[in-house]
Amino acid sequence: MSSSLHSLQGNKACALAAIAAGCRFFAGYPITPSSEIAEQMSRDLPRVDGVFVQMEDEIASLAAVIGASLGGSKAMTATSGPGFSLMQENLGFAAMTEVPCVIINVMRGGPSTGMPTKPAQGDIMQARWGTHGDHPIIVVAPASVQEVYAETIRAFNLSERFRVPVVVLYDQIIAHLIETVELPPKGSIHTVERKWASGTEEGFKPYAETDDLVPVMARPGDGHRLHVTGLTHTEDGFPTQKPDLAAHALNRILDKIERNRAEIDKVEQIETKDAGTVIVAVGIAARAARRAVQMLRSEGIRAGLVRPVTLWPFPDEALRAATANARAVLVPEMNAGQLIHEVQRVVGGSAKVAGLNRVDGEPIPPAAIAQKVRELVADE
Amino acid sequence: MTAANTALPLDDAAAAADPNPAQARNIMIVGVGGQGVLMISKVMALLGQRQGLQVKQSEVHGMAKRGGIVFSHVRFGKEVWSPTIAKGDADALIALEWAEGLRWLDHLKPDTGVFIADTRRIVPPFACRSRKHGATTNYARETPAEIVGRIADGYALDATSIAEELGDVRAANTVLLGTLSVSLGDPAAEWLAVIEELVPKRTREINRKAFEAGRAWAEAARADPELRFDKTIAWRPASRPHADVSFEVTINPAWCKGCDICVKLCPERCLAMSREQVATVKHPEACTGCHVCEWLCPDFAISVKTNVRESATA
Amino acid sequence: MNEIARVSDFDVKDYLRLNLMPHFMCPGCGHGIALRSLLWAVHELGIDRNKLAVVCGIGCSGRTGAYIDANTFHTTHGRPLAFATGLKLARPDLTVVVITGDGDCLAIGGNHLIHACRRNLDITCLMLNNEIYGMTGGQVSPTTSATRVTSTTPAGNTEPTFDACKLADAAGASFVGREVTRQAPALKNLIRAAIEHDGFSFVEVMSDCTEIYGRKNELGESAEMILSQKSDMVPDGLGNAPDQPFRPNRMATGILARHARPEYGRTYRERSAELRAGTEG
Repeated sequence: MSSSLHSLQGNKACALAAIAAGCRFFAGYPITPSSEIAEQMSRDLPRVDGVFVQMEDEIASLAAVIGASLGGSKAMTATSGPGFSLMQENLGFAAMTEVPCVIINVMRGGPSTGMPTKPAQGDIMQARWGTHGDHPIIVVAPASVQEVYAETIRAFNLSERFRVPVVVLYDQIIAHLIETVELPPKGSIHTVERKWASGTEEGFKPYAETDDLVPVMARPGDGHRLHVTGLTHTEDGFPTQKPDLAAHALNRILDKIERNRAEIDKVEQIETKDAGTVIVAVGIAARAARRAVQMLRSEGIRAGLVRPVTLWPFPDEALRAATANARAVLVPEMNAGQLIHEVQRVVGGSAKVAGLNRVDGEPIPPAAIAQKVRELVADE
Repeated sequence: MTAANTALPLDDAAAAADPNPAQARNIMIVGVGGQGVLMISKVMALLGQRQGLQVKQSEVHGMAKRGGIVFSHVRFGKEVWSPTIAKGDADALIALEWAEGLRWLDHLKPDTGVFIADTRRIVPPFACRSRKHGATTNYARETPAEIVGRIADGYALDATSIAEELGDVRAANTVLLGTLSVSLGDPAAEWLAVIEELVPKRTREINRKAFEAGRAWAEAARADPELRFDKTIAWRPASRPHADVSFEVTINPAWCKGCDICVKLCPERCLAMSREQVATVKHPEACTGCHVCEWLCPDFAISVKTNVRESATA
Repeated sequence: MNEIARVSDFDVKDYLRLNLMPHFMCPGCGHGIALRSLLWAVHELGIDRNKLAVVCGIGCSGRTGAYIDANTFHTTHGRPLAFATGLKLARPDLTVVVITGDGDCLAIGGNHLIHACRRNLDITCLMLNNEIYGMTGGQVSPTTSATRVTSTTPAGNTEPTFDACKLADAAGASFVGREVTRQAPALKNLIRAAIEHDGFSFVEVMSDCTEIYGRKNELGESAEMILSQKSDMVPDGLGNAPDQPFRPNRMATGILARHARPEYGRTYRERSAELRAGTEG
């Protein structure tokens, strides 16, 4: 079988990818502009012996997803800003208890109800820091329908691999964009399965430290009768307040991500080798930035683009390398300035960092980015 | 005068000659609520009226619950003044419950009184002073053989079983009426007419049968003193045979938080609180195995184990 | 075997994580009695502990689950029913029991409760009602009796209360019952019936908070509080009189509602199977 071409909407591609990745449980709550994912899952999941359930709110949706994942299912939910805010509580629970789950957050204008039908990139920081306390999380930010498909599958794989919640972050434009997508042939899709305990191990510890810091998970009914708690817990899963054990427990789940960056990181770089001006953008803004780079290069301006596909953890090293010779860095984003803080932290004083922000619910056009770069170059 | 052939005053030649003796007949009917004491006394009263006598009927059934004490005094004669029967003055004592009969024995005329008792035992809750398995009760220990041998003219029969065999346990009182009618020497037809008048229509047949069964039993017993108490009754001893059961209350002091629930709720006061505020078993022998302490211990600190020696049940 | 020798072979210790004992609950806390009654019911039903999932929320009630030697989940505040919904839908082979409290279930989790009742998945929900937020120091809850003093009602509670059973019944729970911890065997039987029931079962357990609620309101020592439960409760349908404090008002105990409604999980699976048959054909 060979791959096939399909004309797909972003949200539909997301749902198809989830099923292809092995997702068999979806719980969600209607919200614009993500509802098409739930609608597609409600049609497709029963056909693959999966379960779709529409819950009473987004809090319950993520709770049900985690419940199903604890039971052994690959599970996901999809939402937008207001719902994502409600999910933060249980997102922290999933991070703390190391329960794999995938959360699609289709960004719309905010804060609060904001502009439900308009795109935005205002959840970049919430996706990383939304829930309370230090916590591990992976956020991927696709920029096309094709990439929504690929990144949704990768999100499941990362989540199952590292037992961590993974957020797929894109915006209303990509959600409702219909593009030609090349779907890989059945059976060729790489999927990752959780490391399961057999249920017969002697002295099994559900949060025992392993080489890759990812503990082996036990499925209810298989023999290990375990406790799962959002309280800070020891290797055996029971609560502790002992300082050394508490520190160890938190550090391990944070290190679990840091130590495995090689498997997690994904950055697209365009024309950065000789770039004097580096644009850093994600999602829909990066699409415009890519066009801007083309325009600028045709004018002889040495511009490049760094596009974090894995947005969190933030690709510090790749960005540092890409901006080593840059005199200016531009961060176009559809918010009042979020990504720019990370860029400034990484670039430090080695280059001038400027933002290009838009919060009116309209995308940033390539021309605006190109113009801003020209201004930066002129200032030098 | 032997007990076997002692007749009631009513039954002797003089009384037979004068159906309306100057001295009143005194009949006591005793039992517990629900047995039909009052039905017997109504029958006796109506019989007296039919014979043209004055009748005084005095009842105590204030404990209007099932199982409460009920007794009735029926006096009839040419002239009757006192409504109640004094001690030592009863011509007949009809007991529908064994221990209730024993309670009133001193009301019988010492030399001539007739005692007719159902051997059915209804053990009241207050006779159960100990909740231990196999514990003795305070219920009367005397056997029918002992009692019947001690009084002038005694009959002890399992009227309840007789009635049960006939098809309705509630007819036990009529069985006793049949027995009494033999003792009083009255003609059966007159009694039956009164009974049929008083009982519900649909129970006339069973009551007639019960009455006749009581008469048949009494006639046999009068003929043979050996039959005056039913030797076939499986008389239950005061202490029932039981498995040798003991209970072991264990308290885990490491888990006990001293809430005191067990100490305060133990019906047998087995437990006590130590100075360290830990529950302890103070009277292990008093435990009846009710498990209340175990069930209500919020800390799972108590277990009540039942030890059974099966050999003892054989 | 002699009748009087017939003794229960239930030993609560067989169902406990002994290394965690003694548990954290205060002296006299009714939650321990409720926990025993649950485990007793589990024992009588012969449920495999490997197949038993206990999902708890936050608060004193939420901490009880950890002591059960089964698959136990200590989730977020008010959400155990939502977690349990996902778990039961994904794993219908598990016996799913939720332990929650009056604050967890009726305040922060009220929305999840009514929708769990409506959905009618085969989940048993035990709501341990001690009329107080014990873990946080004794604040007023949706079931705190009128006039009761709590940390946040220093002059006595004036807020009306929920009758949780009526709420659950109205929301569509197919099994609703209430029992006091004082009647542990009856509570065990009620929980047993609730677990056996095919559909969503709601059981309100009237439990005592002795150390905080009892002390603040001078309700007596642990023993006096548990003894008073019987005078507060009636074993059948008088219900909760309006304009009266929730307790010590007289409330009905026992099985209060039982309806035959399709269990949602099975309905969903049957529909899915039909769909699959349709698409394959």
